[in-house]
Amino acid sequence: MSKKKVAIYTATGCRTCENTVLDIHYQVSDLSRYFDVLFWPYVLGSQLEDQDKIDDLDFSFYAGAVCTESDRQVAIRLREKSKIMVTIGACASFGGMPGLADLLARGNPESFSGDNAVRPESIPCLPGTEAQVSALFQVVDVDYDIPGCPPTQNLVWAAIQAFSGWSASTSNLSCAASRLPESIAQAIVSGVLPPRKSMFAGEKAVCASCSRIKEEKKFSDAKRFYENYEATGRCLLEQGLICQGIATREGCGGICTGAGLPCRGCFGKPPAVYDPGAKMVSAISSTFDCEKAGEIKKIVEKFNDLTGTFYRYNLPSQCELLRALRGNL
Amino acid sequence: MNQFEPKIIAFLCNWCSYVAADAAGVSRFKQAPNIRAIRVFCSGMVDPGYVIKAFASGADAVLVAGCHTGDCHYISGNIKALRRSFLLDKLLTELGVEKGRFRLEWIAASESPRYAEVVNEIASEVKKLGPFLPSLASH
Repeated sequence: MSKKKVAIYTATGCRTCENTVLDIHYQVSDLSRYFDVLFWPYVLGSQLEDQDKIDDLDFSFYAGAVCTESDRQVAIRLREKSKIMVTIGACASFGGMPGLADLLARGNPESFSGDNAVRPESIPCLPGTEAQVSALFQVVDVDYDIPGCPPTQNLVWAAIQAFSGWSASTSNLSCAASRLPESIAQAIVSGVLPPRKSMFAGEKAVCASCSRIKEEKKFSDAKRFYENYEATGRCLLEQGLICQGIATREGCGGICTGAGLPCRGCFGKPPAVYDPGAKMVSAISSTFDCEKAGEIKKIVEKFNDLTGTFYRYNLPSQCELLRALRGNL
Repeated sequence: MNQFEPKIIAFLCNWCSYVAADAAGVSRFKQAPNIRAIRVFCSGMVDPGYVIKAFASGADAVLVAGCHTGDCHYISGNIKALRRSFLLDKLLTELGVEKGRFRLEWIAASESPRYAEVVNEIASEVKKLGPFLPSLASH
């Protein structure tokens, strides 16, 4: 079998997703037997010009949000050359944390960047930023998504196997495929490509795979994590913490909530949820243990930065109001 | 120049506010013609998603109207609507929806004058605020 030609790139992001490509245990030593990585600035030190030397690619992993002109150019060029374009991580899939910049009206600091920059040649300039941060699918056509911040190891491993035709032992495969929807899991096991546009994640909410005990949800105060965590194994939302599992796609296996950390929503919204913010408003409000307008108001005043919390990883692509305001209806 | 005519989505509870709206029409109270009424069984079933979807689809204001406290046909549905309204209002404000575009009101079946009053208030307020999504205003 010939080696697959691959490109891996991070646009505006933290490069942790690129690390997860290497986080596949012992299989990492076999990576070079199946992959011929032609473009990977992070590990191989490739320059942007190196893209021009590539004729075609079997698949590309694109991580990070599209925030600058160069992010967009690389996205377009990789799309042209790749048979399969895959987003890896919440930033490329949904816009991610860099997307929160959309909450501010932006302008470039003129003295540092842009065409009319006044600066000596010796000072490097910042790249020009786009008016709005975008997820990759808002810029080019995307074939598959691997969400997460960063994506969990089993999902990356499943994706690598799906695209490389790398057949590993059955036990490895079942572990990787166990959290995926049946259509994807079966495709990987039988060695064909999963249906186009599928997401390497589950279909339900994180609560479906969370191990905590869910009872009646009632609390009368909003708390931060450090103020109120009891290691009782009870649902974190019931304990008065903002856990976004209910508005977040499953696939991680509830690892954060299992360790006692409220879900932050890095897998984006599940298909059944219309708007994650609205879902969280509904979920949190239903737990308020009071009926008087004054008391409810007092609790609500304690919440800070609802947008940054509910849309932490997906503001540019999954916040319906912002999408409408952008004109992407 | 054409005057801006806002689109106002009103979620009216079947047992109180919808009856009031009906009676307001029958009684020929003067009301702004900007309301698009959606009859729901209870104000408690109006998910925050419905409100956000209304705004995202081009509504300029959203009114949720239900029974007074203690009068709910389903015992406490209107309390559920009340609980959600504050957090929803806060989220909408953060996302750039001005105060006055989202409103929760209690209108009993017998309060048709009150219904007409609320409708007129919202319409005049939103006319001052202008369209929520300028690009959709012409539709």
